[in-house]
Amino acid sequence: MVIFFEQLINGLTIGSFYALVALGYSMVYGVMKLINFAHGDLFAFGSYVGYTILVWNSGRITQIFGIWGGMAVTLLFTFMVVGIAGILVEKAAYRPVYPAGRLPLVVSALGMSIFIQNGIMAVWGPRFQAYPSESVPSVSFEIFGIHITLLKIFILIFSLLLMVIIYYIVEKTTFGAAVRAAALDRETATMLGIDIRKVIFFVFALGPALGGMAGVMNGMYYRSIQFNMGWNYGLKAFTATILGGIGNIPGAMLGGILLGIMESLFAGYFPSGGAWKDGFTFIVLILVLIWRPTGLIGEKIAEKV
Amino acid sequence: MDLTTLFHQRLQNTQEIGKPPSQQRSLGIQKWLNGLIVLLFFLLPFFPFMNDYWIDVAFFVGIYALLGLSLNIVLGEVGLFDLGHTAFYAIGAYTTAILNTNFNIPILLLLPLSAVLAGAFAYLVMSPVIHLRGDYLCIVTIGIGEIVRIIIINNPWGITNGPNGITGIGVPQLGSIMIINSTQFYYLIWGLVAITIFALIRLQRSRIGRAWNYIREDEIAAELNGINVRSYKLLAFVLGAALAGITGNVYASKMMIISPDSFLFMESALLFCIVLLGGLGSVPGTIFGAAVIVVFPEIFRQFASFRLLFFGAALIIMMVFRPGGILPRKRGHLGLEDLGIRNLPQPEEILIQNGKTLVQNLRVNPSKTSHSHSSTILETRSITLHFGGLTAVNLFDLQVKPNKITSLIGPNGAGKTTLFNIITGIYRPNKGQIIFQNEEITGLKPHQIVQKGIARTFQNIRLFPNMTCLENVMSGPHCHAQTNYWSAILRTPAQHQEEKAIVEISSHRLHQVGLWEYRNELAKNLPYGKQRYLEIARALATSPQLLILDEPSSGLNDKESEDLMELLQSLVSEGFTILLIEHDMNVVMGVSNWIVVMDMGSKIAEGHSADIYNNPVVIEAYLGKEEE
Repeated sequence: MVIFFEQLINGLTIGSFYALVALGYSMVYGVMKLINFAHGDLFAFGSYVGYTILVWNSGRITQIFGIWGGMAVTLLFTFMVVGIAGILVEKAAYRPVYPAGRLPLVVSALGMSIFIQNGIMAVWGPRFQAYPSESVPSVSFEIFGIHITLLKIFILIFSLLLMVIIYYIVEKTTFGAAVRAAALDRETATMLGIDIRKVIFFVFALGPALGGMAGVMNGMYYRSIQFNMGWNYGLKAFTATILGGIGNIPGAMLGGILLGIMESLFAGYFPSGGAWKDGFTFIVLILVLIWRPTGLIGEKIAEKV
Repeated sequence: MDLTTLFHQRLQNTQEIGKPPSQQRSLGIQKWLNGLIVLLFFLLPFFPFMNDYWIDVAFFVGIYALLGLSLNIVLGEVGLFDLGHTAFYAIGAYTTAILNTNFNIPILLLLPLSAVLAGAFAYLVMSPVIHLRGDYLCIVTIGIGEIVRIIIINNPWGITNGPNGITGIGVPQLGSIMIINSTQFYYLIWGLVAITIFALIRLQRSRIGRAWNYIREDEIAAELNGINVRSYKLLAFVLGAALAGITGNVYASKMMIISPDSFLFMESALLFCIVLLGGLGSVPGTIFGAAVIVVFPEIFRQFASFRLLFFGAALIIMMVFRPGGILPRKRGHLGLEDLGIRNLPQPEEILIQNGKTLVQNLRVNPSKTSHSHSSTILETRSITLHFGGLTAVNLFDLQVKPNKITSLIGPNGAGKTTLFNIITGIYRPNKGQIIFQNEEITGLKPHQIVQKGIARTFQNIRLFPNMTCLENVMSGPHCHAQTNYWSAILRTPAQHQEEKAIVEISSHRLHQVGLWEYRNELAKNLPYGKQRYLEIARALATSPQLLILDEPSSGLNDKESEDLMELLQSLVSEGFTILLIEHDMNVVMGVSNWIVVMDMGSKIAEGHSADIYNNPVVIEAYLGKEEE
């Protein structure tokens, strides 16, 4: 039982990374109908931005603001930098290609992904980099024999908070209604006076920014980061997006959390599950798509004949 | 039009209709150019600047060209997003490696086996998911690619040797010749590429290739014109996978060592880029794309760690400035000669005449067959369909008499199109039966229903926009053709005969609706009214017994509507039965032999035009009830 709860908490933690990255995928997909393959690499970029801030001047930020304060500054700064990067990505690679149709857009996204990944490698090098241990909170305690670190709790609460905020913006505000309308039918939304550029600006700033923060938290959680980690996370998060129903905000959150939990439990209980867990993820995905092609809480859309 | 007038016109028009001389010359040049390119490839290893290093580079261009061509079948021809194509390549490579190192089976013997196993694997994994669309299929293929790689890494039963890979793979042996040095491998791979191109072009120019393109253009319209969409999609995947398997075989024997690192997602992404970079569906484009992908990093070798950075940027820049690719497949004003069917009768008017004769011989007069059994050709018995809580069609009984025009009318949202969709197999009714020519067709797939002899048009026109008008109509006879992909590759006499018949029937139908002069025009360039006619011609080309038209006159002006009525009458006198949804009361009253009125999913009246015109129930349904 102890193993179960420990794996569950691990799963929730990883799942909240997936969920945060999945949110960006889902929002961009909704408006652009594009799988933003560069999204996973923006997540990795965020991880490296956070790393750079924390190691800057041998940990100056942590010395000034303390561990938790330094973390807050790092998250905030990463949020802004990756948000700007997201907007630049859209301007450089997607906006000019958009009129050409979906296939060129996919290639452009793949190109952007390769570009960012290798850009990270060119700047920070191909080796693993480690988050400095003095900048990461290491407090831990046991409840009923379950080992929990304070960092995990922080990640869970902070991610949840972010998700609630996004949920509120997208589902409850007027601007959120514009985003949802643009996702349902871009053309009609434009004709009804919704400024589609604002919507695109919003999703391309917020989506990557959230992913970037997830990247920082991921770096703190695992401590080591590598330039090509974006592929795998991107793929997983996109799986989560589909699992929950693409273009659907609560779906992305649910899909991410579920995927994290399933993976952890599988890794914990299945013999040599750790090595097989990625395969397990994709098998679940394929089964879900066969059984419910529009995801767990996606609406069924019948094509009009 | 009798033959004398035809002959006369032919004499006058030969100049215009025959191939323009300039085009003939350019075809000749094209042939020379092709020969030159082949010669160039053949002599490449002997050029002074070619050393073993560059011959190896050329070999890898060949590997990626073959992979690109294999993906092109799925992505370019059918338009299915496949970002896991490396899985099939890996299966070919590992099949070869495992069987060669463990059982010493010769490499060349494993070549066909790699193809078969990769193809079979594709069939197995794609069958349950082939119905998924666009991005969903894309993510599934990514998943399959990853699953295959993870299985290889995890070394099940010790056969793949995990992350270390398999070493000591043998070399191919052709009789007493060992294929071992760079030049020999170069010829092996480019020989395979040449065979593939030969077969692929023949497939492109056959009903198989056209069926793939119809699916790419509009899946639903393809299915409802008698094309078995599911099996053609699977065929594309199986052929593509088999070809990738062959490539894997050659790759394994060249490298002598393979490991899971060669089959990353990145590899699939590169293949995707090759196909798009060169130009979707274009054979020279794909080879060019492969050359770019392989040679680009070689040129930038001194920049080592920056070369992929440049590559990513280059991909984006390419898509910004040339989204159609470097050498896009030419699609525009295609002539008949571009259909790739040899010895078509000249001049083209003969085609129409032949088609007419063919069609007359083909047709079994429906009034003859049906009269002996019953006096209806189509009957629906208490058809019911619910959408959630809404009953769209409720216990609907419809009888269509052969060789007559039956109209189905009713206010918007009455369920007319839904009923058509049930009859043509798009929806399965919750209850009830559909009997066509004394045979139950309830629950059959749309393409099977077309084969039985029901063809339809759509309320919101669904053509294959980027194909010529003639190609559009040529989808019609497809469902009655028999020859398979082997005969298309080998161009057997039977296949040629069939292709000729398809062109002839289609020419006749196109001419019949008055669109013959637009035969080489892309369907999307036609004006709206002509698109409606093109759709009718396409439906007629399936040689149906029953023609179902969904609002054929919507969007037509008065003159065009009158022409339409004339056409409908002439079709009936040719022996067709027509079932019509129509809002234009002039058309309905003008042509219908029988009118059925539908409201809220139920039949509220039926009868002759005059009865319906004065029926109070009908008036109420349309205009509402008068205040008492």
